[in-house]
Amino acid sequence: MSDTAAAVTVRPRKPRPQIRSYVLVIALAAFTLFAARQIGFRWGSFIDMWTNPLWDRFWPVPWDWVFNRHNVFDPLIETFQIAIISTVIGCSLALPIGFAMSKLTTPSTPVFWVSRFVMNIVRAIPDLLWGKLLVTAIGIGAFAGSWALTIFSLAVMVKLFSETVDAADPLPLEAARAAGGRHTPAVRTAVLPDVFPAYVAYALYVFELNIRASLVLGLVGAGGIGRVVETQRSTFNFDRLLGILIIMFAIVIIIEQISVAIRKRLV
Amino acid sequence: MIVFDDVSVTYRGGVQALKNVSLTIDDGEFVVVVGLSGAGKSTLLRALNGLVVATSGSITVDGTEVVGASTKTMREVRSHVGMIFQTFNLVNRTTVMNNVLMGRLAKVPAWRSTLGVWTAEDREHAFQAMERVGIVDKAYVRASNLSGGQQQRVGIARALAQEPRIMLADEPVAALDPVTTHQVMGDLQRINRELGITTLINLHFLDLARHYGRRLIGLRGGELVFDGDISEVDDDTFREIYGRAITPDDLLPESADA
Amino acid sequence: MTAADVIVPEQSDPPTGRPERPMAARNWRIGITAAIIIAAMWSWTGLDASFQDVLDAPGKGWNIVKQMWPPDFKTVVDRGAVGKIFESLYVAWIGTMIGAIISFPLSFFGASNVAPAALRVPIRLLFNAIRAVPELIVAMLLLTVTGLGPWAGALAIGLHSVGTLGKLSTEVIETSDEGPLEAISAAGGTFIEKMRWGMVPQVLPTVIGYWLFRFEINVRASAVLGLIGAGGIGGELVSQLNFRNFPQVGAVLLMVIAMVLIIDTISGFARRRIIAGSGRKIDDDDHNASTEALAGLLLGDSIMRPNKPND
Repeated sequence: MSDTAAAVTVRPRKPRPQIRSYVLVIALAAFTLFAARQIGFRWGSFIDMWTNPLWDRFWPVPWDWVFNRHNVFDPLIETFQIAIISTVIGCSLALPIGFAMSKLTTPSTPVFWVSRFVMNIVRAIPDLLWGKLLVTAIGIGAFAGSWALTIFSLAVMVKLFSETVDAADPLPLEAARAAGGRHTPAVRTAVLPDVFPAYVAYALYVFELNIRASLVLGLVGAGGIGRVVETQRSTFNFDRLLGILIIMFAIVIIIEQISVAIRKRLV
Repeated sequence: MIVFDDVSVTYRGGVQALKNVSLTIDDGEFVVVVGLSGAGKSTLLRALNGLVVATSGSITVDGTEVVGASTKTMREVRSHVGMIFQTFNLVNRTTVMNNVLMGRLAKVPAWRSTLGVWTAEDREHAFQAMERVGIVDKAYVRASNLSGGQQQRVGIARALAQEPRIMLADEPVAALDPVTTHQVMGDLQRINRELGITTLINLHFLDLARHYGRRLIGLRGGELVFDGDISEVDDDTFREIYGRAITPDDLLPESADA
Repeated sequence: MTAADVIVPEQSDPPTGRPERPMAARNWRIGITAAIIIAAMWSWTGLDASFQDVLDAPGKGWNIVKQMWPPDFKTVVDRGAVGKIFESLYVAWIGTMIGAIISFPLSFFGASNVAPAALRVPIRLLFNAIRAVPELIVAMLLLTVTGLGPWAGALAIGLHSVGTLGKLSTEVIETSDEGPLEAISAAGGTFIEKMRWGMVPQVLPTVIGYWLFRFEINVRASAVLGLIGAGGIGGELVSQLNFRNFPQVGAVLLMVIAMVLIIDTISGFARRRIIAGSGRKIDDDDHNASTEALAGLLLGDSIMRPNKPND
């Protein structure tokens, strides 16, 4: 029996890579070179951008100014407020809309397609563009920023959440329906417990995203610490800028650590 | 020739996997190592090619001392020692050919192996190794698309591509069904006979050992408790190695034909 | 219920065998919900907006959307909007390339199954530090200091991508199968050979998938960079918005949406091909993994476990 195994002696030919793959590789390389030229790529800039004398003006950080409550602390609070309220509202709305966007739990096919279509469009516009648009529509300030982040986090959240619902176990829902449950209570009792931990994990994620976004929203006039960054930049107070950056850096790291710790406990 | 002289292996954490093992294996022998899991079978094989470092004692492979050898010497020794694994240890995402060519790594200059520019000779060795285990028709198939038995043959071909003088097989059939088990064991036996490669195989099932082995080494708790011809093995030997009487669980489930 | 209380008062172990309703979890839930509501209310006070503002906002938004219709493509195209769309794509592509090329080799030295702690810890710190700085800020600084334009944007995106891709690639490497590496060691292979033949083929498909994902994200980021003057389509949007030329704004927005959706589609197709090409069937798990990867990539963190490359 074992000897029959050795009987196969026909050596297969090495399959040639398809011409398509060569074309693809060459095309991508050419595109890369072309793109680099178009945007002004220069090897030298890797070096001479660091030798720019302006970098010296980032130091020393005027900590007195940075720790003055009015300069940094208050705008930071505003940043947090934007992030919190957008996360809370965005994620709350995402729960029903997310269910509507999953094949498993959608109340009707038109709702499914319309919500998907709208949310895909919303998500295609980056968060800061939303900020700029809403500042134009409803005025400069944190209120516009909150709207922007609410809309964007809703769109991200429903995408994540609805795909989790898609992957949920359909059998309990079938059982709940078989027991004569109406649509909403059936989803509430049969699907929600299954997907809720994922929902919470994603919500924490969206919160992190919103914190990061709200730090820079002010660059387009939508409130928060970014407003201070923009003012200090336009007046070339680079030393103050570095101070703000260090604080932002610390905040992002701390929030991430907290979020990771909570998510670990969820799993 | 392989000589273990008073070899002990203690893992970090204090577990003593081998205790003062001494044995000599001549060229061309077909040796089966049996014992419970944790008896030190795997450690014995891995100490030989330096994947596990012996704590004390001396291991020589064809006269080269392995214990405390330099990285360079160790690679030189390993290039002559093929190894087959329980879990096959193939790169599933690449072709059978690429997997088998890994057996040639120690024989080619670094730039060739890094760039993947193999010589015709390397490919010839790979093809011959695949032909010997009957998987040459799968040469350009992705390893993940093969069955378990076929994957283990790729593992054997990879070891053969090294042109080894010694072949180590660490529970090569533990992940296979009875029929493929006999095919793979048959392959190993045939390779030992035809090429005269010294072969050491770890096995869990005693009846497989009896069926294929010529010399049997029994380990228990890291100590050598039996070393002799397979014909000397009886139920007492079994009790000595396994610490209890033989049960049906220790035998390979009945297969169609061996 | 009350009757039972009367018959067996103060008894901790109900004779019926019915367990008591666990209250701890419920209290937690109420507590957390309350905390969230309080936080939201506190946040509301900081927005300096009245309830009326909230009711008015959708109307104001709609008002603008109405003015955007019909979109005026002619004007913006004459102003070179198509070229700017492509400029955004170039910036995203070059940024992704920089990120991929720098992060891939580094990520090996950040992996616990490859590198010693002395090497691993600093590299991981580097990845995490990079990730914590918003790319928009980096671009802004580079732009102000060096005056480079789109190339500064690409550098900022590239730098950020080094952090996010580095972290993800490191995790892919850490979850790889050790078996092939052991086999190569046993055959006398060197460290470089172990990486080249045992590790790279295992991790590359997943890692390239991440590169493509990052490209999708970077396309969005590069569209934003124009807001601060780093070139691309964002700049056009800002100038049209500042002059309140809403039909033109509508046209630019539609172009941005089209760009993002087209790139997502192409990249998504390529990713699926790569997964399929790596010998696995595309199934629900992949679908799911891709969602989680999306979540991860937005932040450059991984909520997901990277696909175990060996099943």
